[in-house]
Order: sequence, then C-alpha cells, then structure tokens
Amino acid sequence: MEMLLMGICISVFGMGIACAAFGAAVRPTQSLPERKPEPVKAVAPERFFVSEVTVPTSVGRVSIPIEALLAQLERHVRLEQAAAESFLAEPTSALLHSKTISPFLN
Amino acid sequence: MANAQYELLRGLEEADVDRVLALGSRISLSGGDELFPLGAHADYLYLVSHGQISLTLPMKVREQETDVQVEERTAWQTVGWSALIPPHRFTLRATATVGTEVVALSRDSLEKYFTTHPEVGYKVSLNLAAVIGQRLQLFQAMWLREVARMVEHRAA
Repeated sequence: MEMLLMGICISVFGMGIACAAFGAAVRPTQSLPERKPEPVKAVAPERFFVSEVTVPTSVGRVSIPIEALLAQLERHVRLEQAAAESFLAEPTSALLHSKTISPFLN
Repeated sequence: MANAQYELLRGLEEADVDRVLALGSRISLSGGDELFPLGAHADYLYLVSHGQISLTLPMKVREQETDVQVEERTAWQTVGWSALIPPHRFTLRATATVGTEVVALSRDSLEKYFTTHPEVGYKVSLNLAAVIGQRLQLFQAMWLREVARMVEHRAA
C-alpha cells in the first residue's frame, strides 16, 4: 500500500514537471510589442463611369451646364481643326503636335 | 464671273460654269433648317452660294444624344459630295446656321452632262478629289493629334 501511494506521488510530481517544461517550451521568450491598429483608408471614388462631366479650372474640377459643355466642345473642335489646317499648310512635326488653348486640354 | 469661285467649278470656262449651274436649282434655307440628315440617300450635291452650313455628327453627352459640329461650309464651298461617291449615303447631318442659299445639283443630271462633256467632268472630278482629299488630310491630322494625347495620357 505504501509503495502504491509512493508510486502515485512520484507520478503526479513527474506529471507536474512535464507540464511545466511543456509550458516553458511553447511560451514565447519575448512579449510582442503592442501594435496600434492602422487607420482604414477611405475608398477613392470610382472614376470610370462618372455621371457628371467635369472640366479642370483654376480652383479644381467642377461640373458645368451641358450648354456650356457643348459650347466648349465646339470650340475644341474648331481649335483642333485650325491646328490641323496649320499642319496641312506647312507639314512639320511641331505643327502637327502644337498645343491649343482648348479647355479640354488645359 | 463670280460663279467661277465655286470650288467645284474652278478651272472651267465661264460658259461651262453657267451650263453646270443651269442643271441645278437654288434652295433657300433659314437658320436651323436641315439640308440633309445623317444616313439619307445622297442624290444631290450642293454648292453654297451664300450663308453657312454646319456639318454635324451625333454624340452622346451625359446620356443625351446631341449633334456636335465637325465642320463648317461657307460661300463657294461644296456640301454633300457623297452624291458622287458610292455608296451615295450622307455620313454627316447638314443644317443651315444662318440664312443660306445653295445650288442643288442632282447626280443624274451631272453624270449625263459629264458623259457628253468629258473635259468638264474631268476638271470637276479633280476639284472634287481636292475637296475630299482636304477632308481626309484634315481629319487624319486631327486623329493623330488625339492618338498622341491618348498615348501621352496613358504613359503618364
């Protein structure tokens, strides 16, 4: 009976040592530095299928009435034609790619 | 003598100019009147006597189809050369922007006249080629400018 009790005590003691050793083995040696959550960036608005046409201005991009937009479009075509005619009158690479003052390009 | 200023009739004798013009009929248009719609059968060619004709193409802007002017024709210039070039369909819409008068020449009457007066037909054909060539070169240059900008935009 005494031998049995001694065996049980030794087994329990051995089990305790094994658990402590296992815990020490799997515990990280250094605590990780605390990480602050990164702020979530705002999603940029979709630009491929915009419903409002905008034109650049000196103060940013703003919507303009359709009548004004069509007038600008007509002016753009006239300026492009004038530039193309200049090239036809004197065909040079510089005239072919000359800049205009079209609001669609500036 | 002023009639010789029509770009399509340049180089013709004055008598020939008068005879060709006599084949046509004069049409008066008010500002906003349509001369011909896009896609219509082109049976008549027009010489602008005075005023202004706007040539437009439909374009979708903000979900709304609208006519965008791509070219303007003024006095002595030619409109509607599709009448002489197969498949004889107008590829633009023509409207008068102000009070305008044009001489309408039918393809049938022109072809008959050119058959009996080939020297006139030859000179008119050269003038027509110049009108078409000018349009081609102009739009070729405009197209290349647009492509260059697209490439520049994409590479940026």
